[in-house]
Amino acid sequence: MAQIEQSDGGKKKKGAQKKMSIHVDFTPMVDMNMLLITFFMLCTTMIKSQTLTISLPSNEKVEQNQMNKAKESEAITLILTTDRNANGDVKKDENGKPINTVYYYEGMADYTDANGDGILDNNKLKAEHFVGNDGKIQQGIRKILHDRNKAVLDKIEVEKTRWRNKEFAPGNSAANDSIYQARAREIRNDSTLTRPVVIIKATPEASWESLISALDEMQINQISRYQIDNINKADSVLILDYLAKNPKK
Amino acid sequence: MKRKSTLIDMTAMSDVTVLLLTFFMLTSTFLQKEPVTVLTPSSVSEQKVPTANLASVLVSPEGKVFISIAGDADAETKDTWGSEALRKTILEEAVKLYNKQHPTKPIALTQQQVDAFSKINMFGVPFQALPAFLSMSQTDQDKVISDMSRADVGIPVNDNKDMERLNEFQIWMRAIYNSGNDNLQKAMKKGEGIAVKADKDTPYSTVHDVLDNLQTLKMNRFSIMTALKTEQE
Repeated sequence: MAQIEQSDGGKKKKGAQKKMSIHVDFTPMVDMNMLLITFFMLCTTMIKSQTLTISLPSNEKVEQNQMNKAKESEAITLILTTDRNANGDVKKDENGKPINTVYYYEGMADYTDANGDGILDNNKLKAEHFVGNDGKIQQGIRKILHDRNKAVLDKIEVEKTRWRNKEFAPGNSAANDSIYQARAREIRNDSTLTRPVVIIKATPEASWESLISALDEMQINQISRYQIDNINKADSVLILDYLAKNPKK
Repeated sequence: MKRKSTLIDMTAMSDVTVLLLTFFMLTSTFLQKEPVTVLTPSSVSEQKVPTANLASVLVSPEGKVFISIAGDADAETKDTWGSEALRKTILEEAVKLYNKQHPTKPIALTQQQVDAFSKINMFGVPFQALPAFLSMSQTDQDKVISDMSRADVGIPVNDNKDMERLNEFQIWMRAIYNSGNDNLQKAMKKGEGIAVKADKDTPYSTVHDVLDNLQTLKMNRFSIMTALKTEQE
């Protein structure tokens, strides 16, 4: 390939042109290319990172009577926390996954302590984890949120099947997508359906990852009303009370 | 016996390597120099990070804050609002704001220092340390900025809700917003122009200050940098 070979007829016939075999050694070229490839491979990022857009509530003071209050029956509060060791490093379970715990309660927290012994009579706080799906079945906190937002999810599921069958705009996949997106958005924001309001609170030691996981669950479960709030003393009381009743193994 | 030649024809090999090289050259975007490497948490979100008109805020696990500014990439506006020109405008704006709030200890920058600033991708030193930092050579700058134990590394951030007396991080963000680049301002309003990047193990209390400061500045919408979730997760 790298040589131009010609049959050496020089000796046989007189007058025929003397033919040369031209050999080009490509080894240094390959060497150099390999070096360049190595350089490019080390210096580039193939995966572009993704982003998640969030909006925090405005800081402006709102009058008490103008406040948007969530209905008690709709509210669900998540309190995120992460187990850390004495150095502040995140503890991992046997699978090497960080131990993120989600405490949650529905509606208003109940702080009644009738006999005054420091133990809450009716602590509604429960603990769950981010475990994702087991096949098609939701688990952990995802199941709880899924069940709370069932009305919306069921309706979206119907639209999703139609989207998969390309019923919105046969033959035009971009239009099919955008019609589906618009419909899903409409259902998410449909105030006639029972939809939860999720309040996400993170304890100071909660890892950044657990907050993102919580926001992710909102996306997965098509929850349109959620907000990130600051944790307060009352929430810590609930957690301490929970831990006193359910000591960690 | 006739000796066999050990010459191997490298042409095919060369063809392959050149193809690979072309592929890498075309698909690559260069890694941006960052003072610390952070592992972002994963999410299901599929929005891509914009490459132009973006102010990204990096929070190191120690709580140090760094900012990187990318300007307009359009050919028409590149001269006025390309990254380098934009950074100069923002620096001037930020220094003006800082000097207004700290009349007793104003800082002044020379033209060379401003030029040096426009070449830096990610910066993060307090205003008082800025002139000295910008006079250093690039290797020294890199060395300083990646040393997390130094007190003069990272943009100072504290819990501040007073709009009249902004902290240094808020001064920078305000300056970026007021840079005069309409596209950047629009992106910031939509929440695409600000990206917060932090390590997945960083405690929430560390990132909280940054989020809180953005909230105070009424930059309520912003993006969080994440990696794509893999199937098993």
